[in-house]
Amino acid sequence: MKDQLRNLDPLSRREFAANTARSALGLSLMSGLDTAMAQSGKGGKAKHLIYFYMGGGMTHIDSFDPKPDAATEIKGPIGSIGTNVPGIQLGAYFEKLAKRADKLAIVNSMTQQTGDHDGGRYWMLTGYKKVATIVHPEMAAWKQRFHGPNTVSDIPTSFIIGGGVLPGAGFFGPSYSPLPLGDPSRGLPNAVSPVDQDRATKRTGSLETFNKAFESKFSTTEVKAYTEYYDNTLSFLRSKDLEVFDLTKVPDAKRQSFGMDRMGQGALLATRLIQKGVGAIRIDGGGCDNHEDIETAFQNPARTLDTSLSALIDELEAIGKLDETLIVVGTEFGRTPIVNVNAGRDHFPRVFSAVLAGGGIKGGQKYGKSDAKGYSVEENPVRPEDLNATIATALGIPLDKVIYAPSGRPFLVAGHVADPKDPNNVLPEGKPIASFFA
Amino acid sequence: MKKLAILALTGALASTLVGAEMRSWTDSQGRKVNAEMVGVQDGKILLKLETGKTVPFPIANLSPADQEFLRGNAPLDTATAAKQIDDLVLNKLKTSYAEIRKNWEAAKVGSKSKEELEFLVKMTWPTERTTDEQFLRRIYLDVAGRIPTYAETTAFLNSRDANKRARLIDQLLESDAFTSNFFNFLSDLFRIREGISMNDSRGLKVGAYADWMKDQIRANRPWDEWVRDLLTAQGFYWDNPATGYMLTDQGMPLCNLSNNFTVFAGTEITCAQCHDHPFEEVFQMDFFKMAAFFGGTNLRSGGNTPEAKAAVDALRGYEAKWKEENAKADRVPRFPQDLQDILRAYQYSVADGKEGKVQLPHDYKYDDAKPSEWVSPSTYFGSEVDLEKYENPRQAFATWLTAKDHPRFTINIVNRLWKQCFGLGQIEPVYNIPGHLDGQAQNVELVKYLEQLMKDLNYDLKGFLRVIYNTETYQREANHHSPTMAQIDQGEYHFPSPVLRRMSAEQMWDSLVSLSTETPEMMSNRMLEAYRDYMHTDWSTVAYEDLIKKKRDEFRALGSVTGGGSDMMMMGGGGGGRRVDDLLVRASERRLPEGVNHMMYAFGQSDKLIIENANRVGSVPQVMFLLNGDLTNRTMVRPDIYVTKNAKAAKSQAEGSTVVYLSILNRKPNTAELMEAKKLVTKNPTTGEEDYSDLIWALLNSREFMFVQ
Repeated sequence: MKDQLRNLDPLSRREFAANTARSALGLSLMSGLDTAMAQSGKGGKAKHLIYFYMGGGMTHIDSFDPKPDAATEIKGPIGSIGTNVPGIQLGAYFEKLAKRADKLAIVNSMTQQTGDHDGGRYWMLTGYKKVATIVHPEMAAWKQRFHGPNTVSDIPTSFIIGGGVLPGAGFFGPSYSPLPLGDPSRGLPNAVSPVDQDRATKRTGSLETFNKAFESKFSTTEVKAYTEYYDNTLSFLRSKDLEVFDLTKVPDAKRQSFGMDRMGQGALLATRLIQKGVGAIRIDGGGCDNHEDIETAFQNPARTLDTSLSALIDELEAIGKLDETLIVVGTEFGRTPIVNVNAGRDHFPRVFSAVLAGGGIKGGQKYGKSDAKGYSVEENPVRPEDLNATIATALGIPLDKVIYAPSGRPFLVAGHVADPKDPNNVLPEGKPIASFFA
Repeated sequence: MKKLAILALTGALASTLVGAEMRSWTDSQGRKVNAEMVGVQDGKILLKLETGKTVPFPIANLSPADQEFLRGNAPLDTATAAKQIDDLVLNKLKTSYAEIRKNWEAAKVGSKSKEELEFLVKMTWPTERTTDEQFLRRIYLDVAGRIPTYAETTAFLNSRDANKRARLIDQLLESDAFTSNFFNFLSDLFRIREGISMNDSRGLKVGAYADWMKDQIRANRPWDEWVRDLLTAQGFYWDNPATGYMLTDQGMPLCNLSNNFTVFAGTEITCAQCHDHPFEEVFQMDFFKMAAFFGGTNLRSGGNTPEAKAAVDALRGYEAKWKEENAKADRVPRFPQDLQDILRAYQYSVADGKEGKVQLPHDYKYDDAKPSEWVSPSTYFGSEVDLEKYENPRQAFATWLTAKDHPRFTINIVNRLWKQCFGLGQIEPVYNIPGHLDGQAQNVELVKYLEQLMKDLNYDLKGFLRVIYNTETYQREANHHSPTMAQIDQGEYHFPSPVLRRMSAEQMWDSLVSLSTETPEMMSNRMLEAYRDYMHTDWSTVAYEDLIKKKRDEFRALGSVTGGGSDMMMMGGGGGGRRVDDLLVRASERRLPEGVNHMMYAFGQSDKLIIENANRVGSVPQVMFLLNGDLTNRTMVRPDIYVTKNAKAAKSQAEGSTVVYLSILNRKPNTAELMEAKKLVTKNPTTGEEDYSDLIWALLNSREFMFVQ
């Protein structure tokens, strides 16, 4: 056995390289799969992903897993409210979402093993634990890997609004990197020429003249690529597509309805971007690391999410895009059920909550259960890789299609385990939540 | 006396000659002569005969035994070694050319089309020698990490010294700029980043590790010694910043082993962490036996030392006081973050037990051991190691890895340096050198020569680079075409010329630095000593009030990379508080890595999370940055910026435009370009001054600026 493998040595190494080359050129022929899955009624309806990431570790008891019947020190000072779905309660700050609970599929049995922000966040976004030898891609990059880049407009394929760019494209490389956008209200950075039109035209004209000699002498792939990037960018900057970034074009009342903060305006921008073919947008919010005075500290992040997510659902429904847009609310961990001496809650990876909506997912339901104290998972544990499997399924990304990193290591969209029968094969680790697709 | 005279005359630069004694020399025909070796030059050995007369004799005509003797004994003659490399390259190109012609003419086209064959033929032709302008720009970018300043450009181009290229290479290799540039290479390779460890321990200030690394570059530490330092460093990080290397993988010892192999042996064995490597001869057991060399290493042994204990005790005392003072009825605020960081830093100290052992995974599935069994260190290739001879297993590993007879250690560094010079390794990918080089390396004979050269040089990296930069192969114009994936993959790019490269993110930034000032090497303040002193503070003597305010501020100041200063001008418009003299600080002295709003992020600076993670791939945001960003539209056209000042000092618009060209593209414009430039340079009607900003903008956006010929 070993000898056979040994004979393969140079060749297989080359095969890996060839695989990488093919993936870099986007020659993968996976596009038929998603439609196949959609037809079978098992996900695959979502064409876009909008991911609200609640940085800091969002308290589960005060948001999507309230414990109204528990002791005061667990129930906490915020309390809960009923919703438009009997049997579903939300934290009291989520007044708007309470009227839209029929759209939400809530997971109350999220669980992972690390209480450190970065490690937990990495695991949630990639489905893999953080290691020092590779960076795994997040869902936006996987999606581009399987569905290809934006072909509707010249706008980049994915965005990260207002937050950390890691893990981003991971080993897929820079052409899969989401474009970071700090403040959605300020539009795309460097989109507007600081000089007037005449001057801009003049200097771009001269630039082309200056380039000619060099370009004809060095006709390398890389030089051509840059010339293409310049052409594309210039036409993009002149195109109407750019207007989607100008939120001042949106009626004031609608802008306000999303909330004038970064998350709200990011959600508003997201509704415009998906109409221009953008595949995935992650909106990063923070403020959930509420070690002290949770009643005050959680109010702002909760209300921000409540407002922006509600407005997003309404808007997507209004433009007929809710069914093809998957919305996710994720966070790295929950917070301790018992309120601490500082009236706050501390890190709690053992159990937390996540929410899905739209994208062909059936709303008005809960999956998994924490115990009466919100202290551990009682029913149907969901690990980050399971959540990612669910998201991937909704997006029509195959869970079992092995993709090789440039170093030759195999990876799957929602984590992998060794195949006990074949040491050279890997099997999917994450399992999708089937009931969400019923 | 005469010997000295000859040495000075020939310029064969060696201070000591190991073989400088009377011995018997034999030529290839068996003839013998008694003589003393006094130097080597242009492929000839200079032999001082018993008569006192010195004669040059071709090394190639010596007996094999004497040629062998010369290796390691003869002083390195840069020109001779460079010539050898050139010959090996040309031989390979000739053979390759002949083969392709043969196939072509015999119409044995096979799977390749005529066009493909034509292309392949073209790729066996060496390009022209670089012009002085091209050479100047490239050697600065490769050695100094930036384009030359206007003054440096004109000085070189105007020099009539026939030997000016070799002299410039020597000068740049000894400059601070080289230190800065080589540091960028290492920082990508070693993942030198803020917080040191992936788990981000903020109390560990990366500046100390960076300072230490730069010191090694400056001292030109032999690579093997240097690597041994990194792999065996012990103690507190601030006392021995070389521990930064091991601390980078703190909490991930198995990843650390993989990374050691990748960085130092160009070997990817991560697969074997979880199962037998499917395609290489590496069993999972091998991986764990290698990992066991580090099994006795404790990166968090700080708590075991009295000094750290005293510091922690004192700080904990202040923490208690803090809580007491700040306690309200219902809430206890947390001890300030900086102070918590300092507290935590004291746990990081690297120590070794006498033994190394690691436990196999709980799901170990092969029949040579049981799951969770403990394994001891041993090597799975190269020479065997007798652990008894070493202080600890880590020492043994380092010695094994860096031995001259290690099959990958030397090739790895040679290949990585070659890639730095030519844009492509002799073996690609550089992190995965195959067991057999035939059909994998672009030029096997050359790789073997380079490997031997590095050994002969005793891992003198600058000496090695000096040889490479002096080759004709390096000094050829960059290839007009990109080698194909297939060529690279099958070892068919035989280096008719360097590959045309886009500047790295750091080179782009540093080039802007050299456009903005005449002294681009301004380094930020060193912090190694200050940090060491700080961490040796006797906390029990620090007053509580000083700790809360003064000491915290001091600690924070240690982390500021861009240094402090008084007369900082704030940049206008969207700069968000960036300071003008931020621009004057080179990449190596800045935050590691820079954040998402920085130009270097856009242009692919490594995030330093994994080995060699920088990229030079284009993107729309990059272009937007250059088209509309502050740097090209505001900062680089400011009147007080070096390039503008020089242009404005010129007597005429044409001369001013020439200055701009010489500054940005390091060459003079031709007539057509001057005509075009004239359209862009406008005269201010009131002051009568020329405005060069649009010309500067256009050249900074040009392909010629971004690519290295």
